[in-house]
Parts: sequence; structure tokens; C-alpha cells
Amino acid sequence: MSKQRNLKSVLIGGVAMASLTMLHMGTALAADFKEAPQLADKVKAGQLPSVEERLPKSPSVMEPITSVGEYGGTLRRAILGGGDQHNIVRLIGSENLVRWSPNWSSIEPNIAESFEVSDDATTFTFKLREGMKWSDGEPFTADDIMFWYEVLLDERLTPSKHPNFVETAGPVQVKKIDDTTVEFKFEEPNGLFLQNMAYGFGYYVVNFPKHYLAQFHIDHNPDVQKLVDAEPAAADWVQLFNLKAGPMHTPIFWQNADRPTLHPWHLKNGYGATERVVAERNPYFWKVDPDGQQLPYIDQITWDQVEDVEAILLKAFNGEIDYMARHIGRPVNLAALTDNKDRGKYDFYQVGDIPGSQTALMFNLNNADPVKNEIVNNLDFRKAVSHAVDREAINDIVYLGAGNPVQTAPHPLSPFYNEEWAKHSTSYDPEKAGALLDSIGLDKKDEDGFRLGPDGERFTIVFLVADVFGWQYPDVMELVAGYAKDVGLDFQVRASDRSRLFEIVSSGEHDAYLWNCPGGLVDAYANPDCYVPRGQAVFWAPKWAAWGADPSTGTEPPEEIKELFEIYRGVTSTADPAKQEEALVKLIDSASKQLLTVGLIQSNGAFGIARNNLRNHVDPMPIAGQLWTPAPYTSQFYFEGGDNLP
Amino acid sequence: MSSRHLAVFLWYHPWRATSAMFGFLYRRLLYMIPTVFLISVVTFVIIQLPPGDYLDTLAAELSDSGGLDEGTMQALRDQYGLGQPMYVQYLKWMSQILFHGNFGISFEKNIPVNDIIWDKLGWTFAISLMTLLFIWMTALPIGIYSAVRKYSAGDYIATFFGFIGLAVPNFLLALVMMYVAFKYFGQSVGGLVSPQYLGEPWTFDKFLDLLAHIWMPIVVVGTSGAAALIRIMRANLLDELYRPYVVTARAKGMSEFQLLLKYPVRVALNPFVSTIGWILPTLVSGEIIVAVVMNLPTTGPLLLRALLVQDMYLAGSLILLVSILTVIGTLVSDLLLAWIDPRIRYQ
Repeated sequence: MSKQRNLKSVLIGGVAMASLTMLHMGTALAADFKEAPQLADKVKAGQLPSVEERLPKSPSVMEPITSVGEYGGTLRRAILGGGDQHNIVRLIGSENLVRWSPNWSSIEPNIAESFEVSDDATTFTFKLREGMKWSDGEPFTADDIMFWYEVLLDERLTPSKHPNFVETAGPVQVKKIDDTTVEFKFEEPNGLFLQNMAYGFGYYVVNFPKHYLAQFHIDHNPDVQKLVDAEPAAADWVQLFNLKAGPMHTPIFWQNADRPTLHPWHLKNGYGATERVVAERNPYFWKVDPDGQQLPYIDQITWDQVEDVEAILLKAFNGEIDYMARHIGRPVNLAALTDNKDRGKYDFYQVGDIPGSQTALMFNLNNADPVKNEIVNNLDFRKAVSHAVDREAINDIVYLGAGNPVQTAPHPLSPFYNEEWAKHSTSYDPEKAGALLDSIGLDKKDEDGFRLGPDGERFTIVFLVADVFGWQYPDVMELVAGYAKDVGLDFQVRASDRSRLFEIVSSGEHDAYLWNCPGGLVDAYANPDCYVPRGQAVFWAPKWAAWGADPSTGTEPPEEIKELFEIYRGVTSTADPAKQEEALVKLIDSASKQLLTVGLIQSNGAFGIARNNLRNHVDPMPIAGQLWTPAPYTSQFYFEGGDNLP
Repeated sequence: MSSRHLAVFLWYHPWRATSAMFGFLYRRLLYMIPTVFLISVVTFVIIQLPPGDYLDTLAAELSDSGGLDEGTMQALRDQYGLGQPMYVQYLKWMSQILFHGNFGISFEKNIPVNDIIWDKLGWTFAISLMTLLFIWMTALPIGIYSAVRKYSAGDYIATFFGFIGLAVPNFLLALVMMYVAFKYFGQSVGGLVSPQYLGEPWTFDKFLDLLAHIWMPIVVVGTSGAAALIRIMRANLLDELYRPYVVTARAKGMSEFQLLLKYPVRVALNPFVSTIGWILPTLVSGEIIVAVVMNLPTTGPLLLRALLVQDMYLAGSLILLVSILTVIGTLVSDLLLAWIDPRIRYQ
């Protein structure tokens, strides 16, 4: 509980976006930098330049989370055989121009030495670190960012661009001022750009090493065909380029160990083809501690490939996992992990993985069936459903009482928590639900006790549900269908696998589905998916979302939805944090009155395990869909005693 | 099944000219071509039957873990060339295999299927062979014993454990054994070598470590097979033990042990040999759960994952190779059968 308060106290101040003007982090002055013993050996042997030459002129000086560390040890983890690239991304990959502070409250320079935002939130200038180098020792300069920009603009390579870098008028304008200064310019205010650059997807900009990738680009290397012929997985240069310059959040990136990076550790072998993925210390890493010791402290990271989540648990019990929350930090595992704490020599840390709603009923408000569409768009219908389900019982039966039985709304730890939103229409009251349903014309029932729609047919809603995230959605849905039946509603449950569900909902052919909502904490700024139909994954109103992105597509929403778009513009059109917060609060207030989604349960976060001598890790550690933690703070982790516990 | 191609003749027929054997071999090899072809077509079609493709799976996973953007998807869709008609994809795949030995590219791993599977097939093959040996080494003596000492205490014990072995699902046995090894012996369970040897070059220590681990999957996978064979052996042998030829041989003063091994056991041996062909597909497909639970580096988990994400060339290649091996295994077991049992003739 004390930890919770801890997180709260930092978040409550709101997003104090550190500065709109020049921000300088303390420049390291110490001329005598120190390095890891292995690297010192290599320097002695003449295989590596000295640490002063490897570091930029002003490395990023990291304030220790708890204490200054010592070198040594291997951070051991486990990874699933496929589709688990975020296991690597979030640990070492997320090093962007700017970063969120460890408690997710303000934005600090990271790869950039400093940044500047114009008052109208249209121009963002980043100053890079002079003398900074890629993991292979080649210089990292503004040209690398310009190379990324060239690829972004190239229709052959990037036919459709990431929303972070486009606005209605077209893609962002990027300009190289000098070798270490880059300017991003938008036509309209883009108040969230800096946040987005600190979040995961900011990675694009700083992951295009020109000296390496140019060889795969036909404009830079006319002989690229030779390389294409040598690569069995590519048929032409575009495929080859996409293979070598693949997005970091997909497996492709991590299958190519040759691509230079700016990460604290660099892959020694590709992910997927071997039983163990190994990442070694990047000798050119550009962060140091206050004593001038070059980071990272830990020598290497290993991920043992396993096929089953249970195998990770077993490894944890045996002390073969040094730091991990992914896959195992679920309430169901808590008892077993606690039992084996002494044997595995680990302890728990808190993970602030807090969604707007962990389990929410999402009706497709753009249903192709006009009869159903009219009913689900009636607020009283959604209110009735909300009163018909017994959230407390679901919470107790399925989640062992670990969640909060509330609507889709900010969590109590969030700076914008409001009890009114959370408790809106959450009382379990079947009679009220029945009365509401009667009042909207669903008052006739068939011989089985199910309500008839206005067309005289039984009113049926088909719910898609997949067993994902370990949150037992199918179990929840069965309970919900039971409550719906009690008030005469026919909710059919269709369990399917995730990809099938995804396929159906993304084509908008569904009546309803069960999923989660982001926006429980500060991520509500950038991911308000359930408060306004904006984003790539808004399947509760796909056509409104399409209209919102481009009014020539999709369906024009009703006034109250248009108003949400308008309010949200207040968040994006300014760089003033106070105005942004005001707009966001107004948005959530307006959205929660409309019950766009019927939230059932909100989780209070998860947990992870860290071995007893692992120091300097953030606890509680915030994490979110776009907040790819523990990076960029992993390089500060260290083992007390310089090695893993036996 | 193997016996379909064989005719069992009256038992006094001798093993005849070798030309018959070559004719049989030739015919069987010929039959294998359409069989394997059909398998490859069915495989390819079935893998693609579920709606969606690898990219839908990827899209779903990406949207779980931090958001999805259309740009990435579009680029990937072009990358993988998905969207061509199925027969075009099939023909491309097949011709590459036949003319270049190239099984295509794994979508998920972006490397040639060839680079992934041989290692795993090797392990699968090794574990299969060892499992087969384990089954034989346990089932043969126990089966003989429980037939010869019918209704003795030993027979009842063997029967009891035989039925348990048959009834307990393999993966459950795997879980129980892992639990015991973990709880009481403090062993690092799962996988074939301890974590410190992962990815290291082979040394004698690593080999010893391998031996300390590999018996567990062998016992788990072999138990039900051994239990079944014990029952079959017992039943077959009981049929033979009271035949006139046994009585005759005994009357002529042949020693009991020699008699037993030389005649009835030899006759009862058929099911041992005819299972050779099945053990491989059992291990590859039937024991996927065991392999997943025990974290074995065999083809099972690879195939499961490939099917789940619709990594079709990888899945197709695995199923195709395993099918070919099964067809070959069946042929080998038929030939061995004919060699062991003179009553069987090629026709």
C-alpha cells in the first residue's frame, strides 16, 4: 500500500512536462570515465578505443534510482518461442530521443542532449550529443535521423506512415540544422508530439543507422541486387530493405543481430532461431552514472527460449530468472511464487500496469444491422446492461477480489481520478435494468423469457471473446451472459482465438466483444481510445474512428461524439500541460456520462519478481501499452556483489 | 496400415526368391509418390483453411503489446507476398522443394525453413529412437514374463502398471515427474540440458548433463507405448504358448527357455516391428503437449507455434517431412516384418 501511495504522490502532480524551453541535464564533467573490466581488457589489447573516445562529449548522466552500482553479472530471463519480441523491446530497446521520468511524470532528454518546443507546439528542436556512436563505433549524427526521414517519405518503403509523424496536412517536416541539431515542424499544433517521442513508438527516429542500412537502399547502392540475391528471404530490394530495417516492435528487428543500435546491450544472435538469445554490453553506450562509470553495469542479458509460460514459473522457482514481470506477474501465480520465494531467492516489485478497464463490454456502436444499431446506441440500453451485471460477484469469482468493480475510468492512482465516473451506473440492480429495457421498447418477451426487438424477433447480441492476457475473459463473459438472461437479454457468447476475433472486429462485423481499455493513468493523454473514438484499435465504433481520422471515410457520428473529438482537440492543440489536463478531464467527464463502453473490472496493477541482490530497478514500475518500461532505465540495474546470486 | 500391402500366407510357405522382394520394394516406393503428393496438398490446404493469415495473427499480437499501425502492416503484407491464389503459392513452394531443396521462408522468423528444422528434426529422431529402444527393452521381457507366468503375482503387478501406463495421459505424467524432480531432487527441469549449457559447444560434461535430463521425456513418451506393447505381447504369446508345435518341441526335449525364445516369442514379435513406422509421427504430433510442457527442442512445439500463427511454409514443411519419414518408417517396418516372420510373403 505504501508503494501505491508512492506512485500516486508522483503522479498526482499531473504531467509536469519539464520544460518548454531549453533543458540541460547536468553535463558530465569528469574527464576520468570508468568502464567495465572486460572493456578495459579490450582497450588494453588494442581491440577497442578508450572509454573517453567511445562516449559522447557529454554523456547522459543517470541519477541512480537507489545507489551507484558495480559492474558484473548476467541478467537472466526467459522468452517464448515466438511473438514475444516485446520481452526484448521493453527491456533494452526503448531508448528514444526523450524519455519519461522513472515515475512517468515528466519528460527528460535521453538520446537528445536537450530539446526545445515552440510555444504554439508546432516546432520541436532536438540537440543531439556530439561524438555519440552506434554500437559498432560509427558516429550517430543528424544524418541518421535524416535517413529515417528519407525512408519515411519514400512511398516505395513506407506507403503508410506511423500516425505519430503525420498530420492532416501530410507528414511532419524534418530539417537538419547542423550535425547535431534536428528540427521537427508541424503545420498545426501537436501538443502530444513530445509525449509520443518519449513513448515506445518514438523509436523509429533513432533506429536507422545510415552507414549500415544505406547498402540495402537502391538510391544509395546501385549494386543492391547482389545483396538481394544473397538473401533467401527477399525477392527485391524493397523487401530486403524492409527485412534489414524492420520495425523494432516486430520480430524482424530482433532477428537481425547485425543492425547497429543505440541500446545498452546489443544482440549477439537473432531471436527465434536458437535456444537462447544473448545480448552483450554495447561498448559505445552513451550513459554514465554520477561517478563517471559507463553504463550498463550488467555484462549481458540472456533469454532462454521456452514454449510455455509455466516453464518460466519453474525457472523462477529455481532462481533462473533475475528480473521479470512479463507472463508471470498474474494474480493466479502469486501464491506459487510466494511459496518458492526463498528457494528462488527473489522478491516482488510492483508493476503499475493499470488500464482504464481490464474487462469491458464493448458494443459495436456502428453495427451494420439497423435494428441492433439503434438499440445499442441508446444510452438507456447500455445503462440497463451496466445495472444488470453484478460486478462484485465477477470480481470475487473470477479475479479473487483483486480488481475494482468500476466503469472504464481513470484509476484512483491517476491524477484525474473521479469517483463519480468510476461508480457511474455500477450498482447491481436487475429491476432497474428491466425497467430501463422496458422503457426503450424492449418490453415484449418470447416464450423463453427473452426480450423481443422492435422487429418482433428475439433481440440477440453476439459477444466475441478470446482467452487473452490471462484475464479469463471467457469466464467473465459466461457470467455476464447469465446476468443478461436474468433481465431477458439474449447475449450469445462466441469464444474464438485472438486472431480470429481481431479479424472480425477489425472488419466491423461484430455485435459486441469483450476487451480492455487503456487510459487508466497518464496514458489517457495519448491513448484515449475508450473516451473518444480515436486510434487504430477502436472497435467499439470503427466507423466513427475512421471518420475522425479522415472525414471523407467512415460514418459521420452524432453530435455528442463530434463534441468528444472537439474536446480532445484541446489536448493536442497546445503544449501547455495545464490546458491539456483541463481538456482531458473534460473529455473523460463527457465520455463517461455516455457509457461508450461498459466497464466491469479495473485491475490494481501487476507484479514482477527481482532477485534479492538486483538493485536500482524502479519500484513501483509504471508500464503501459505505449510506455515500454523498464527501458530506458535498465542500464542502471546492477547486482550487489557484482554477480548473480548462486 | 502395413498389413494392407502384405498377404499372410499359410505358414509352411518358405521365404522365396529375392526378386520378389525387389519387386515389392519397387512397387512400394512407387506408391509412396502419390501418397506423399496427396499429403503435401492436404497439408497445404488445411494449413490455410483457418481464416486469416500470419499477418492477422501478428496484427493481433502487436495491438496487444503497445499498439498497431497500418503502415507496419502494409509493409509486412507486401513483404510476405500473401494474397496470391493458393495454388500459385503451392506450386511455388513445391517446385522450390523439388528442384532446390528449399522449403521456403518462415514468416515469423524470417529465415529459411531449412535453417530451423534440421536441428529439431535431429532431436526428434534421436528421442524417437531412444524411446523405441526403451519401449522394447521394457515391454519385451515384461510381456514375456507375464504371459509365461500367467496369473502370477508378477503378472498382476505388470498388468496393473500396464493399465495405469495406458490410462495416464502423457503430459500429466510429465507434469508429475517434473514436479517430483523439482520438489525432491531440486533438479532444473524442462529442456534437455541445464541452463548453463544452453548454446555452449558440446563437451563431455554437457553430454552427461544431457543424459541426466533426457531419460525423463523418454520414459514419459515411452510409457503408454510400452504398456500397450506389454499387453499385446502377452496376448499374442498366450495364443502361441499352447499351440501343438510348442507341445511337440517340448516333447522332443528342447529346453524351456530356448524353446520359448526361438518359436512363440519370435512369432509374437510382429507388433514390435510394425510399430516402428508410427513412433515418429507419434512423437512429432501426438506428444506436442509433452514437448511443450517439458520444453524439449523437438519439432512439436515448433509445429504447434507455426500452426497457431499460420506460419504456413514452416508448418507445411514439418508436416511434409514427418509424413515422408512416416511412409519410409512404415516401409522399413514392413521389410523387417517379412524378415522376422517367414510366413509373410511379398505380393
